[in-house]
Order: sequence, then C-alpha cells, then structure tokens
Amino acid sequence: MTTGRTATDMTSGRVWKKPPFIANPWLRYGLIAVTLTYLYWAFSTLPFDWARISEGLPRAAKIFGGAFPPSFERAGLLWTGFKESFQIAFLATLLGVFLSIPIAVMAAKNVAPKPVYLVGRAIIIISRSFHPVIVAILFVAAVGFGPMAGILTLTLYSIGFVAKLLAEEIEEIDWGQVEAMRSVGAGYLKMLIYGVFPQIMPRQIGLSMYQLDSNLRASAVVGIVGAGGIGGTLMNAFGRYDYDFAFAILLMIIGIILVSEGISGWVRKKVW
Amino acid sequence: MAGSSGRGEFMLEITNLVKRYGHNEPVLKGLDLEVDGSSVVSIVGASGAGKSTLLRCINRLVEPTSGSIKLNGHQLVNLRGSELRHSRRRIGMVFQGFNLIDRLTVMENVLSGRLGYVSLFQALTRRFPQSDIDRAFHLMERVGIAHYANNRADQLSGGERQRVAVVRALMQEPEILLADEPTASLDPKTSQQIMSLLQTLASEMSLPVLINIHNVTQARMYTDRIVGMRHGQMIFDGSPKDFNQDALDAIYGGIESPDEDAAEAGAQTQEATV
Repeated sequence: MTTGRTATDMTSGRVWKKPPFIANPWLRYGLIAVTLTYLYWAFSTLPFDWARISEGLPRAAKIFGGAFPPSFERAGLLWTGFKESFQIAFLATLLGVFLSIPIAVMAAKNVAPKPVYLVGRAIIIISRSFHPVIVAILFVAAVGFGPMAGILTLTLYSIGFVAKLLAEEIEEIDWGQVEAMRSVGAGYLKMLIYGVFPQIMPRQIGLSMYQLDSNLRASAVVGIVGAGGIGGTLMNAFGRYDYDFAFAILLMIIGIILVSEGISGWVRKKVW
Repeated sequence: MAGSSGRGEFMLEITNLVKRYGHNEPVLKGLDLEVDGSSVVSIVGASGAGKSTLLRCINRLVEPTSGSIKLNGHQLVNLRGSELRHSRRRIGMVFQGFNLIDRLTVMENVLSGRLGYVSLFQALTRRFPQSDIDRAFHLMERVGIAHYANNRADQLSGGERQRVAVVRALMQEPEILLADEPTASLDPKTSQQIMSLLQTLASEMSLPVLINIHNVTQARMYTDRIVGMRHGQMIFDGSPKDFNQDALDAIYGGIESPDEDAAEAGAQTQEATV
C-alpha cells in the first residue's frame, strides 16, 4: 500500500494537454484573426435588407398557408409527370451504368495503359465538372425541351459518378486473382471477365442502386429547366400559384425517395 | 540435344537468367537450372533470395532482364501476345494465397483453367466444351472436392481452396506445374496433405513440379531434388539426403530465421504422426 502511494506521489503533478491541431502558434492565432476579420467584413458589407426580409416572411407564410391542404385533384397530371421522371431515371441509370463500366476500366491505373488511363480520367473529370442543372440547360438547348434532354443529362451525370467510384474499386482489387488468370493464359478481356468483374460486382450493383436513387431525385431537378418529368409539372404549379398542387408533388417526391432508399439499401445488403 | 526430344531430356532449361528491378541489385544473378521430365523439385531459400521471381519469370508474370528459359525446347523469353498466352496455358501455377476468384463457384474457378483454350463467348457465357466439364469433374473427384462444384470458392477452407487451385492448374493440361509457397497459408496438417497431393499427382501424370517452399522438412520429405538459393544465385542442388546442415547454413546462415527451429521441432512430431 505504501509503495502504491509513493509511486503516485512520484508520478503526480505532470500536466497533459492535447497538442494543438496547428502546432505553430503564429500560424494558429494568425488563422483565427484572419477568419474573424473576414467574417466581420462579410457581415458589414453584405446588403442585409431587414425590411425585405420582414416583408418576405409573411409572404412565405402565405405560400405555405396556400399549400395546405395538399391537393391531389389533378392526379392524372401528377401521374404523367412521375411516370416520365421514372422513365428518365431508369433509362439514364441503365445507360450510364452500362457506359461507365468500360470507362471505369479505362480509368483504372492498374489495368489500363497510361494513355488510355488519361483518356478515361479525362472523360470522368469532364462529366463531373458541371452540375446536372447546367448540363441540362445545355442539352435542352441542343436537343430541345423534353425527356430526351433529361436522359442525356442524367446519363452523363451517372457516368461521372459511377465510373469514378468503379475505377477506384478496380484499383483496389486483389491482384492475385488477376495474376492467376494471366497465368492460365487468359487474354485481356477474359482476364477482366474472370479476374476483375467478379471482384467489383457487389460494388457495381450497390452503385447502380444508389445512382438510380440519385437520378430519381435529380430528374425532378432537371425537369425545372425543361428536361422533362415531374420537375416541369412542379415548375408549372408554382408558376400558376397552385401551391396546394405543388405541395402534393413535393410530398410525392419525398415518399418516392424514401421508398427507393429503402429498396436500394435492402438490395445492397442482399448482394454483398 | 537440349530437351527437344521430350521426356527424359531436360524439359525445363534455364540459362544465365538475370532479373533486375530498375537500377537495384539484381534479384536473379545469372541463374542456371535444368529440370527433367518428371521430377518434383523444391526451391528453398530465405525471403528475398529470388525464389518467387524465378518461378514468375518462367510463366512471365515477371519479365526477365536477360537469359534464356526453354520449355521442351521452346524459348519462352521474348514471347509476345498470343504466343505468350499459348505458352502460359501449358504452364500451371499454384499460389500461396490460392488466388481463386472468390465470388465465383468452384466449378467456374476450375474451368477458368481452360481460359487459354476457349473462345471469349464461351468464357463469358460459361459454355465450356463437354470434354472440359468431364475433365473438371474427374480432377475434382480425384482431389475430393467434386461435391463443392456449385459452392462459392470463398466458402471453402484453406486446404480445399488450394485443391481447387491445383485442379485449376491441372485443367490447363500443363507441361509443368509451378507452385509458389503453396502451403505457407495452411496449417501444418493441411500443408502436408497438399505437398503429398502434389507429389502423387506429379508421378501419376509424369508432370514436373517446381515448388518454392519455406519448410525445409517438407522439402526433404516430398520432393526428389532440392535447389537452394541465396541472393539470386543457386548455391545448392542435390537430392534431399545430401541436403545437410552445411547446405542449410550456406542457404540460411547469417540470416535470422526463427521458423527454422520451429520447422526442425515440427519435423519430430511430423515423423511421429506420418
């Protein structure tokens, strides 16, 4: 017992504090000062018009008031809009996922030669660099209003996302399986079919489900700029002050996203 | 005379093989090795001695820097494209980590040994010729895994998976079998079974087998000839009975190898059980 006490006595009195995230004190306090100065500057120069905000709040309340109760009277219109959105999302997912497989192989460092790799990466970077809404505006200008523009937009969007993550997955595969296929004398495509694709298959299915989910959501958004689907219906409802119908559309969108999230989660768990 | 007349002659002939990665010290420094028609040869040596590189140079998973490798009189170095693939399909290989396609069935794994022979369409749709399927069942029955044909490969135990890998290699109708540490991921009992399987298959099919192996005791027990490597050179070549303490010291001397004592200790128990 006494030894225990002496041991404590000998080791006590030393303080410990978590080392600071930024070790250099000049840098640390400098960054804090810069941030505070910027915030002060930003708030003091931004035109916060309190009068407009106070006017806007009752208007927002009116809109919400007009939205209650949601109106499902024009169910036909609702149905047509959603059907088109579904078609856009499904087709774009199928096309996008299908096209993203070869692009992912091109963009994977370990299975593609350098020049091909650069082309693959370039395709991915280009298809990722713009938000779908901007792409949709371009495609609407190119092929006209309607679902065609939506399909093209979301296909490109799917390629950017799925091909990128799939390429990263290919780069992390167990190389031993590839070596085994090379050692039996398989050519490049057979090596891919046996040595690579089975390894990325669960990820591929998971990504496809996720992308379908994401495309359903995005198809509503790109509709707003004229690329077909429920987004167009929603935009029209707002334009005609049919807030109750707009609210009904929003509720449907939330419901569908919830359901698709549930389904995709279940499928992803099953295929692992 | 070199090997072209087939069995009895040297079927594998390696001359002055050099492998250098970048500008580093060569991993293989002018290695010569000849293997005749139906012998089981074990290659022993410490980690980094170049054993694995040697095997991988033979089926060209690793590109040799210089030298010559002849299989039945057929030069393997400098082969390209389909010529290289045609040569590879006559060289079976078994790996330490099994390297099975985990998510495919045992049967698909076994049939993948035929990928060098079938068309892309057949490979994609799994429509392999009946003769391949017959051969697959025959070989799987031979090593006792036929009842797993439709199981996923990753459901099997280590020893069973290595049997699948052996069958896959035999499906190639190989002229030679390379085994790179085939038992290093297995428990002692299973690793003996695999070594004994390789030994019997080699004599049944009069198939030459080259085995990289860490376990010197097993090398002595299951192979006809031991090749010792150190620093990319062959420093011992002889029968297991000539493989004495001096040879062991020459190969491992000065290199920390705690497993060596364990292997020696294991030898006592193994001899007791076998």
